[in-house]
Amino acid sequence: MTVAPPKHLGELFTGFLWIGARSFGGVLPWAYRTMVEERRWLTHADFTETIGLCQFLPGPNIGNASIVLGKRWFGLSGAIVAFLGLMALPFVWVLALFIVFNDFSANPAVNAVVTGVGAAGAGLFIGTAVKLGRALARKPAALALIAACFLLTAVARVSLLYVIPVGFLVALYAARKDWL
Amino acid sequence: MILLELALYFGLLSLISVGGMPSVMPELQRMVVDVKGWLTPGEFLQAFAVGQAAPGPNILIASLIGWKVAGIPGALVALAAICGPAAVVAWWVSELWERFKDSPWRRAIQKAIAPVVVALILSSGVIIATPGAPDWRLWLIAGASAAAMLAANVNPLWMLAGGGVLGAVLL
Repeated sequence: MTVAPPKHLGELFTGFLWIGARSFGGVLPWAYRTMVEERRWLTHADFTETIGLCQFLPGPNIGNASIVLGKRWFGLSGAIVAFLGLMALPFVWVLALFIVFNDFSANPAVNAVVTGVGAAGAGLFIGTAVKLGRALARKPAALALIAACFLLTAVARVSLLYVIPVGFLVALYAARKDWL
Repeated sequence: MILLELALYFGLLSLISVGGMPSVMPELQRMVVDVKGWLTPGEFLQAFAVGQAAPGPNILIASLIGWKVAGIPGALVALAAICGPAAVVAWWVSELWERFKDSPWRRAIQKAIAPVVVALILSSGVIIATPGAPDWRLWLIAGASAAAMLAANVNPLWMLAGGGVLGAVLL
């Protein structure tokens, strides 16, 4: 399969706009479909590698991917154009949906449905954590770290401004000792 | 001044949001609901729901909170602040990361981040499903959605739709 990067900024913009426009239920699958399968901007391996990096960076994975890929292809203007393309439509839609919802939020039926959707969304996070955690299940040090960070964050409600730096340093020490 | 406060707070959150928005939801909830009182626990859950159901990166919940606090300018400032600092980091680190491809430190960092992110995402799920006093109905919906996600590889919108139906019946 031959791949070629977008030829100009307009193409980059419409590509990311198209990703954002369709991204119901999660952006990643649509980013893959648009960039790898439809427009053939990059290979499967390249896409996986880029997303892998973006998962380790702070910020939204796919937002970071737009910065990294836009920069690679067109420098600073590419990064800005890709990012704006990605965010433009979802920003308008989510805000419009929320404004409409706010007008109906006094209605108990609407409230119940939206609260149910929120709880299901929370469940998706729990499912994601289980999925990611399975790879670590055989490592006692990893399980201890997960338990400690969870108790501090969810039960004791300690600020992440403390939990993340301290947890990460302890984890880095454990990783260098080959415990993880 | 509230715009400045939003910018500073979301900018700080941006820098620690390793693993994306799910990782920092506990901090967002703590700050927005417990410390500042900008949203009630129920409103926070509903903003989260709208952010999940709408297309786009789930970071957009930041703009919903910004809108609640300070209207459209608040929405724009919150979104720019939650994305900006992380984008600058992505810009600089993408090259470094490539250069240190074979460094043992790069592997150690990758391994170290994994358990922390798992704990944070798990915390997010539990905290979001527990606005205020524990409610078994919300936990039931969350548990069913998590189980369905692990059992079947389908578009997560189905789980959100199922949650809406269960919400209409139970709540």
